This record gives sequence, C-alpha cells and structure tokens, in this order.
Amino acid sequence: MKRRSIAKYAAVAAVLSLGLTACGGASGSTDAKTAGTVRVTLANHVWTEGIKAAIPEFEKSSGLKVELTQLGEDQLSDQYNVKLNAGSDEIDVMMYRPLQEGKAFAKNGYLADLTSKVSSDATWDWKDYQEGPVKATTADGKVVGVPIITEREVLYYRKDLLKAAGLEVPKTMDELEAAAKAIKASSPDTAGFVARTGKSAAVTQFSSFLYSFGGDFTDAGGKSAVNSDAAKKAYAFYGGLIKNYGPANVSTDMSWPEAMAIFTQGKAAFYTEADSLYKNATDPAKSKVADTVGFAALPAGPAGSKPYNIPSWGLAINQASSNQDNAWKFIQWATSKERTLEAQKAGVPGPRASVWADQAGTSTYPKDLAEAISASAKNGVGHDRPEVVTVGKAREIVGGPIVATITGSDASGAADTAHDAFQKFLDSEKK
Amino acid sequence: MTVLKENTEPQTAPAVPATTEPRRRKPVGTRAYKVFRVAALVAVVLFLVAPLFWMLLASFKTNVDIYDTGKSFFFTPTGENYANVLQRNNYFVFIFNSFWVAFVSTALSLVLGVPAAYAMSRFTMHRSALVVLMARVIPGVSLLVPWYYVFSNLKMVGGFEVLILSHMFVSLPLIVYIMMSYFDSLPLELEESAQVDGLTPIGAFRRITLPLSVSGIATAGILSFIFSWNNFMFALVLSGSKTKTLPVAIFDFVSYASIDWGGLMAAATVVTIPIMIIALFTQKYIVSGLTAGATKG
Amino acid sequence: MSVLTPPRSAPSRKAARTPSARENFSGWANRHRKWLFAAPAMIFVGVLIVFPLAWTLYLSLTDSQGSVRAASEFVGLQNYLTVLSDVERFWPAVGRTLSFTGVALVCEVVLGMCIALLLWRPFRGEKWVRVAILLPLVATPVAVGMMWRLIFDPNIGFVNQLLGMVGIPAQPWLSGQDTALGTTIFMDVWQWTPMVVLILLAGLTSLSEEPDEAARMDGANAFQRFFFITLPLMMPTVIVAILLRGIDALKTFDILYATKGKGGGSFHEVETLNVYAYGLSFDYNQYGLSSAVLILFFMIIIGSMWLLTMRKKAVSK
Repeated sequence: MKRRSIAKYAAVAAVLSLGLTACGGASGSTDAKTAGTVRVTLANHVWTEGIKAAIPEFEKSSGLKVELTQLGEDQLSDQYNVKLNAGSDEIDVMMYRPLQEGKAFAKNGYLADLTSKVSSDATWDWKDYQEGPVKATTADGKVVGVPIITEREVLYYRKDLLKAAGLEVPKTMDELEAAAKAIKASSPDTAGFVARTGKSAAVTQFSSFLYSFGGDFTDAGGKSAVNSDAAKKAYAFYGGLIKNYGPANVSTDMSWPEAMAIFTQGKAAFYTEADSLYKNATDPAKSKVADTVGFAALPAGPAGSKPYNIPSWGLAINQASSNQDNAWKFIQWATSKERTLEAQKAGVPGPRASVWADQAGTSTYPKDLAEAISASAKNGVGHDRPEVVTVGKAREIVGGPIVATITGSDASGAADTAHDAFQKFLDSEKK
Repeated sequence: MTVLKENTEPQTAPAVPATTEPRRRKPVGTRAYKVFRVAALVAVVLFLVAPLFWMLLASFKTNVDIYDTGKSFFFTPTGENYANVLQRNNYFVFIFNSFWVAFVSTALSLVLGVPAAYAMSRFTMHRSALVVLMARVIPGVSLLVPWYYVFSNLKMVGGFEVLILSHMFVSLPLIVYIMMSYFDSLPLELEESAQVDGLTPIGAFRRITLPLSVSGIATAGILSFIFSWNNFMFALVLSGSKTKTLPVAIFDFVSYASIDWGGLMAAATVVTIPIMIIALFTQKYIVSGLTAGATKG
Repeated sequence: MSVLTPPRSAPSRKAARTPSARENFSGWANRHRKWLFAAPAMIFVGVLIVFPLAWTLYLSLTDSQGSVRAASEFVGLQNYLTVLSDVERFWPAVGRTLSFTGVALVCEVVLGMCIALLLWRPFRGEKWVRVAILLPLVATPVAVGMMWRLIFDPNIGFVNQLLGMVGIPAQPWLSGQDTALGTTIFMDVWQWTPMVVLILLAGLTSLSEEPDEAARMDGANAFQRFFFITLPLMMPTVIVAILLRGIDALKTFDILYATKGKGGGSFHEVETLNVYAYGLSFDYNQYGLSSAVLILFFMIIIGSMWLLTMRKKAVSK
C-alpha cells in the first residue's frame, strides 16, 4: 500500500509539473508579446552596472518594464549567434561590439536601421557623438547602433620605478624601449614591459603600434598590408619588447586579465592597454600599485602617436523585434547626455564630445589619464582590428606574427606568411 | 613500533610448523601493505578534495588576498563574496531556475523513460534502445541552432520549454539506460504470478513492477537531476533573461573589465554545494546508477 | 483506493460480458503495451534528433555562412574536401580529440583500477573515502574549470606556489602552448577517475573469490594473481568503463570552454573537434563547414564506440 502510494505521488508530481511548464510557458510567451516590456541584453561591464542601478528610474518615467539579461561577452555573442540567427524576436535591445560583430550582424540583417530615429531628437543630439565611434556603428550608410563605451590605447607606467631609475616618461617608441631595457637590467625580477600576448587578444593592442609605425592591416585598395615594411617593423618592435624585456617565461596566451595582473602585481614597469580598464590598476582592492601608477599617451613611432579610438560597445535594436519603438525609448534614455555623464563619472569613457568638454566628466579620472585620453581622441584611428565580416578569423591571421616574434621567430617571415593568408581570407570574403 | 610487533609475532605463533613458511610471510606483507594502503588512500583523498578546499578558501578571501601569495592559508575571512553573489547578483533566481529545469526535465524524462525502459527490457528491443541512446552520442553543437530555429518559429522561446526539452534530451537516455539494466535484474516471476492472479500486463507493471523499482527510479532520477543541474552547453545558448541557470551565471564574474576571483569562487561554490549535499545523502543511489550495466557480461 | 481497484483487476470473464469503452481501450493498451510504452520516448528523441541531424547533413552540403537564413548554394561534397584537406585546424583537432580522450582514458583506467583495488577490501573510514570519491564526480564541470583556472594561474595559482616551495620554477600550465592540453587532461582525470573507480569497484565486488583463492593456494603472488586472474575477469567491466567514459571524453566541452574560451587558446592548443565545430558555428558563422566537421565528428564517435563494443563481445566470450 505504502509503496503504491509513493508511485502514485510520483505520477501526480510528474503530471503536475507537466501542467506547470505548460502554464509557465504560456505566460512566458504572452509576457513577451505585451508591448509594455523591453527585453534588453547586456554584457558584463561597469557601464551595465550603472544602467542596471538606474533602470527603475526609466521604468517609472516611461511606464515600460525592462527585462534584463546579462551575460559575459563571449556568452553574449554565442547567444546572439543562435537567437538572431533563428530570427527570434526574443531580444529587443542588444549590446554588441561594433568592431567585432558589427559588420557581420549588419550583413546578416540582424540590426535595425536607426538612421531616422537618431536624427529625430534634437535634445538627445546625435551630432554630439564623436566621429570615429559613429563611423564604426554605421554600416553601408545606415546608422545601426549607438556607441556607449569608447576606448583608446594608453601607456600605463610605474612612477616609482621610473623615478628610481632616473627615467623620464617615454615620449617615443625608442625611449620606451630604452626605458624598458634599463629597468629590466637594473632589477631582473621586474619586467620592463608587458602587454597582451594572445594571438587574437593582442591584435587590438598591437594595432596602435602598427599605426604609429605608419602601417595598417589593409591598404587603401582593401588589400592585405600586413607585410609592409612599417608592419614588419611594428611586429618586430611589439614582439621584441615582450620577448626581450617582458616577464620571464612569458605566456603567449595573455589577454588583458593576465597582462593586467602582472602589472598590478608590481611585476612590470610599462604596460600598454585600453584606457577603459584603468580602474583595475588604480583600485587598491585589485592593484598593489594603485598609488604609483601613471598614465601617458601612447609613445610616438615613426608616424607619430596614433592609438586607436574606437567604440568598444554599442546598443542596437534587433531587426526581428516587434517592439522597436519601445526599444528605441530605452536606448534614448540609456545614452542620454545625463546617463553618459553618469557612466563616465563611474569610469566608463563616453562617446559624446560634450562629456569630455564638461569639467564634471573628467573630474573622476586621474589627471594624467584625462590628458592622455584627450590627446588620443584627437589623433586616434577609428578601428583597432581588421574591418572585415569574420573578425575572429582575421584577428587570428594578423595576430600570428605577434606571437611568432614573441617566441623568437623572424618577424619578417611571419608577416609574409600572414600576408598570404590574410589576402586569401580577404578574397574569400569578397565573394 | 613495527620492530616491537615483529618481535612479538613469532612468540605468539610458535606452534606453526615449518611447512607453512610462505604463509607466515603473508601477515608481514599484509602489514606493509596496510601501511602503504593507508598512505595511498590518504593521498587519493587529498588529491580529490584539496582543489575543492582551495576553491572554498578562495571564496572567503578578498581579491587582494587572492592575489597575495603570502596569504594562501592565513587571511581574514570575508563573507563579502557570498553577499555579492546571493544578493547583488540575484543568485536565488538562478538557483531556482537551475532547480526548476532539473526537476521538471527529470520528472518528464522519468514519465517517458521508465515505461520505455520497461518495454525495451521485457521485449529485448535492443535496436529501439539504440535509438534512444543515440541521444547520448550526438554532439550537442549540432543541435543548438536547429532546435532554437524551430522553437522560435513555434513561438516557444522565452520560457523554460526549450531549456527543459534540451535537458530531457540528456536525461532520457540516461534514465532509459539505467532503468533497462534495473528491469533486466528484476525477476519475471512476480509479474507472471500477478497476471495469473488476474492483473492485466499493464496492471502488473503498475502494481508490482513499479513499486519494486522505486529505488531504481530514485537512482535514475537523482543522476538525471545532477546531470541536468551541471549542464552548460544547452543552457549557454538556449537560456534567456528569466531562465538563466547557475552554470551560465558563473560567467557573470568574468567580465570585460576584470575577473572577480573571489566572486567567481563563491559562485562556483554556490553552484556545486547543493549538488554535493544531494550526492552525500543519496550516495548509494548514485553509485548504483553510475555502475548500472557495468557488471553484466 | 479500494473503490477504484476492483473493476480494474476484475477477472476478464466479466469484461467479456460487458465490454465498456474503457475496457476496450484497456485491452487494446495491454495488447500493444510494447510500443505504447516504448514509442513516446523514441518519438521524443527521434523528433529532437532527426530534424537537427537532417539539417546538419543538408548544411554540410551547402556554403551556408553568416546566417542560416541567408541564401546558400548547394556545393556537394566541397565542404568535406575542404575540411579533410585542412591540416591547420581540422587534423590537429582530430589529433587533440583522440589524444585527449586516449591519454585521459588510460590515466583514468590505470589510476581507477589502482584505487578500486585499494578500496576492494573493507576498512575503517571507508565511508569518508567514498564521499571524497563522489565529490569531484558530481561537481559542476564549469565550476570545476573555473576552480582549476585559479589553481593553475601562472602568477597567483596554488600549484606554482607549491612548486616554488620546492624550488621548481613557475610553469605556464593552462596558458602554455605545450602544457595546456596536458593540464586539461589532468582536470578530466581528476573529475572522472572516480567514476571509473566506482564502475571497476562494482565489477570487483561481483567477482567470485574462487579463482583468486585457488591461485593463492598454488602460490601465486599478488601481482601474478592480479594480472592472470583478476584482470582477465575484469576485462568486460573495464571495457564498459572505457565505453561510458570515452563517449563523454570525446565530447568534452565544458571545462575546455571554461578554461580556454572559444577556439581553445592562441594556438588552438586545446581545440578538440567539439570546440572547433563550436567555433566554426558561433565565432566564424561558417555553418556549412561546421556541419561537415560535426558529421565527421559524429562518425568518429560512432566508429570508436562500435570498435569498443566489438572488442567487448570478443572479450566476453
């Protein structure tokens, strides 16, 4: 008797759960249909934290309900590749990486055309946006995204080490190399220079070196230029700095977390990295060198100091969304001058010119960093990786010579190999 | 100590004749083996538990302490990481989601799988069983895009359905596999005599076989729950804002601007602790489930 | 309950006299119970498998890329030719998949056998050892991956601290080109050796004592008894363990994704077929190629399972 009732209970529980899922499912999809909800998908980022805290404010003023999904950046792009691919309307507003995925998404028709929307509101003011970021969120003459976070490459350095060695802050690439050499020689435990080394991860940080040496990934005709003299010199320089003056047994798989850790552990004197990550170095909870870190614009190469100045993230509307007007309301609010200023104060460099002109916009930044940023914004280049559809693959190709030179191979040969592969890749994309 | 013992041994066994010489060596070997065995077991346990212990330790450290190699074992513990995980990151929602998906997919898989396993066992439907077990073999990557495509066209996305269906896809073959070997081991006589007493075959299954299989069903259910709880790939791409499960939520602490090691380890601990507690209380079921079918010829 | 029971269990004579609709159904159900029971599960799996598999097969014959909804052309076996002649990514991935699986399986079976032998005879504290064995087994693989990422971190990881104490220089582990695959194999061994132990232990416990005892009487030492008596008897169980673990090891994804991300690192040093196919789909959006890789991968899995099953049959005889 007792056993039988257990079996019965199990059966009842199973049937119940069946019913419940059905109900849950039904309510789920009706929820999605109600126009009063905006489904927003955001990446983990300081910017997102700020927006998340302010969402109740938006819900109150607009009367809309926000349903937020937050994911790591890789997980986010995995989800987009499934959900947008299927033409799902499950997402309204999407946070995306204009330079990484923008071209592919636009080509696949995932991104709604915002051209008329951005120009419709004068107080929101599309003209306030910097030129470089705007270019990156425009595809085939159509605005498909609104930039929210920008970044430039700057030089992180250790004031105390430089002072101890009697060195000035390097202004040129040659001075940087000399300083790195001097520090490595005086204290073998401290690396003179550290930066990203991962084949794909390093490409963006290498790009500024490439531009400063006078090169680029492609030439004006869209052909591969990674084996130009300038590019070969840049590869040799970047790889050589790390090989000769970098940490001992340097890993060739470092993205920024690993490289940043070396710097914030006090194990390196110079570090070139995106400015948007500066809080990792200045926050005493994360960094041992919080008191002694200094910032400067990227040292000048033969072609001057030419760091990238790009929008690392933007907001876009899913083309398949049936809720585009509400989605735009959210974007309008999240990218307003006030919110951009708030975000910038929290350490997220904004894409609006007005927040940089505003005293309040730069007040929370270390003074030398604010100077480095404004210098970089002026002569910056609008991309930090090859501007192609399949960016992931392109990064691996052009990143090859970086790793090769770090591990001691000849930069020139590696660049020639990469050139052939890259040209083949570009041809295949043209088809 | 050992010297003493070795001296005493011959004295306690003086009557043993010389012909059993090799026998007398055996206890000595056994004792050396005992020492070795204890040492080896301690090593095994350490090897298995130490990493988990390290994860637990790190979850109570601040990030500064995690980066400070001088503070590996001696540090001031902080509950900040857990507060961060549970409160600020809404982990209770993810815990519920994980639980709900695992529970429902397990329950539904049992409803489908137990009768199927019964039929496949009683009628030796090996080919049919192979169809179900195929689900265990196919690479999950090939399923993601098609599934989502179909379900989104059926307007079935946004809730738990896709996630539960995908988890059932993992649970069902597991349950069928375990239950088949369980039913194989149940004697037929009971059912047969029940049918002689007037029960229909289905009645015999319901009244006799099912109650006898409660422990087998528990085994299959628990294992399927654990596998569903741990599933990552399906949840990674198929979950949405309201349905995110714990294994995906772990990545919340790996963000573009920093890895929050303390939070990450606290999150990892929060994910693994419930399942470990379940495992501790249901040990014997798990073991019998994992070893199901292993000892048949 | 008692009210409900009589009509259902009533003798069939009664049913023959007044065949109600319900009893008709019951009779039908009983006659067809074989398929009534088996079909729902089979249909469920069938529907969820057949369509994706057919789709994957179809995509593998097209040049689909970017979006699966975008127009694509039928290209015949072109993708398979491309993949099979790809010595940069595909064949290394095949090699890594096989060596990951092979090395992990050998370690797990050898180590698992040793531990199972240690646990074979009862001892004090057995309960605790069994608990310890269960923990890695049920731990969430992604969480485990994160845990190892911290432990193997070149700068702050505990393993390098330990090495430092005995004077061995820090190793790159997960971030090294040559060490990453080995490190992930180590993780797999840590997590899944317990499963092999449990399976082998179940096998050992069900062995008859007699052959072992007879060999002991004949003066065989422990090693001889193991290699000539126990091991041959255990072979079927060992193969089952390899079969069960092998399928999962071939398909390993979670810990590789958690520790090395998409693409398996700078040099694709841990890029197995599963990771490669995932990257082709979700990083490069080359669905045609990705599908071809998946089909080939599927065939490799089926093939190795078939080989093992054949082997098991031979051993069992």
